[in-house]
Amino acid sequence: MTNELVYGTYILIWPAITFVVLGVICWAVARDVRRARKSDEDLI
Amino acid sequence: MNDTGFTEFSTITVLLLLAAFYGGTYLLTLLIRKDKEDTSGFMVAGHHVGFGMGAASMTATWIWAASFYAAATSGYTYGVSGPIHYGLWGALMILFIYPFGRRFRKLAPNGHTLGELIHARHGASSQLILAGSNILGSVISLMVNFTAAGALVSVLSPLSFETGVIVAGVGVLAYTLTSGFRASVFTDFAQLVALMAVAIIIIPAVLFSAGGTEVMVDGLSLMTNEQASLFSVDAIMNQGAPFFVAVLAYAIGNQTISQRLFAVREKHIKSTFVTATIGYGAIVIGLGMIGLMALSVGMEPIDGNMNNLIPQMVSTYLSPVFVALFFILVIGSLSSTADSDLSALSTIMMADVYGKNIAKNNPNPKVMMLVGRITMIVATVAGLVFASFSLDILVMLVFVGALWGAIVFPVIVSCYWDRVTNAAFTWSVVVAMALFCIARFELLEMTGFTVLAFEALASIGGAVVIGMMVFGFLGRTAGLVAGALTLVVMLIFATGFLRDYMVLVASLTAYGASAVVCTAMTLTSNERFDFDLIKKRVGDYDDAGIEDDATMIPEGAK
Repeated sequence: MTNELVYGTYILIWPAITFVVLGVICWAVARDVRRARKSDEDLI
Repeated sequence: MNDTGFTEFSTITVLLLLAAFYGGTYLLTLLIRKDKEDTSGFMVAGHHVGFGMGAASMTATWIWAASFYAAATSGYTYGVSGPIHYGLWGALMILFIYPFGRRFRKLAPNGHTLGELIHARHGASSQLILAGSNILGSVISLMVNFTAAGALVSVLSPLSFETGVIVAGVGVLAYTLTSGFRASVFTDFAQLVALMAVAIIIIPAVLFSAGGTEVMVDGLSLMTNEQASLFSVDAIMNQGAPFFVAVLAYAIGNQTISQRLFAVREKHIKSTFVTATIGYGAIVIGLGMIGLMALSVGMEPIDGNMNNLIPQMVSTYLSPVFVALFFILVIGSLSSTADSDLSALSTIMMADVYGKNIAKNNPNPKVMMLVGRITMIVATVAGLVFASFSLDILVMLVFVGALWGAIVFPVIVSCYWDRVTNAAFTWSVVVAMALFCIARFELLEMTGFTVLAFEALASIGGAVVIGMMVFGFLGRTAGLVAGALTLVVMLIFATGFLRDYMVLVASLTAYGASAVVCTAMTLTSNERFDFDLIKKRVGDYDDAGIEDDATMIPEGAK
């Protein structure tokens, strides 16, 4: 059981980290969009 | 499923998927299109890309089609530690460059390529060595990505390999041509979101459809002791170490990275590159786990081709919807890298070739934009032609990798040490390449004193790699101490041992030889370079009235 938990975590931790990074990037882009609108600049 | 065991889509389905992907991407670029693009926007998005866009773009660019296949192959070949020894070092390539990137930005805040900085520091010969290695790397990358598109389309549909190659080439060119780097960064975000979402879904889906963790743990008994170990020496020496050696070389030699170092707002360089490091590592290592799962369930790759592992696992255990998602995942990853390569190539031709060497620092912005767009078209055609020939790129990759290794020390040191000369830069690269070839192809009999001398050079190379990495984060003293300690340890333990890994010896020799020659020639020089000159010499091409040509040539290059 412990082996399964460890091995399962070892495999599934990567999509979990990917999920977190995806959230961070989306949040940061949303912030960039808001700032660009506020200052009337191009996003990119 | 077709007779080879893959899910096969109809021609219409694949064409619709491709049309949706490339059509959607093209429509996205209409949102940022300007009536009149300027050169700064076309090359580096005006130097003000934000953290979110920058991190997404860096991650998407660094993940190419081969990342998934190679990570899965590593998991299948080396077992438990295999995906880490592919993905971790690839991720660290992004991380270890950012301290140097901040220095590049400080020296040349208006820069577009690393070649411009080196031109301002040393002159044309050093710059063209760097630009040449960047061009070769990007053309190879383009070719590999178009080849991957052709292979994927031909495996999953009745369409031919050539059709896949052409659709990918035309699709990428269509959305990149007008806005250049701005289009590349903007579409990278959308492509990365799709790519990450698919990866988040597919990895657990394959795991649980293949029987869950119980089956995977049982599969450990099918592995050798080396494969079942997280600390496999086999994986470290054959997969991890060569990648570790390449960490700084790939980052310095790749214009797609330096372009983003010059494009992201200066205060966001660190956060952007740290986030991209984590994102790249998680996606690539995660998809590499599918190779490990294939090993655990005892799957044999069709036709013995390791590139079939992921499509085979997805086809075997998941419904066609997931196979379609996988299709989008690969097309997204290869397109994001290909559009970055097109932007990189156009920028090198615009700034390094036209701006610095043809127009002699007095370029016409309109001609410059034309040069950039023509470069994109020519590069796409070249990539399509080379991909259609299915060329063996191994030899080219070997040389480009060595060239990148040889330029690491001279490029970095030139940005910190005011005594380094153009001759020291150029000769160090030439000598390093010559010694690399001798070691890599064993042109001399590798016995006795000869092999010992190469092991000693390789030990210096190892010290350079570690020393540079530590220097980037902790400064000169720590870097010198780390380098010295590494040299001592390697001279004690690696001599007599490294000769069994001549590919590794050759790579490290490139670093070591260039460091020795560059340092020796520099110490004999009395020149002192004023780093403030770089800022004056690397300017914005949209501004008129650039300095006269004669004042732009560094003293050492006259």
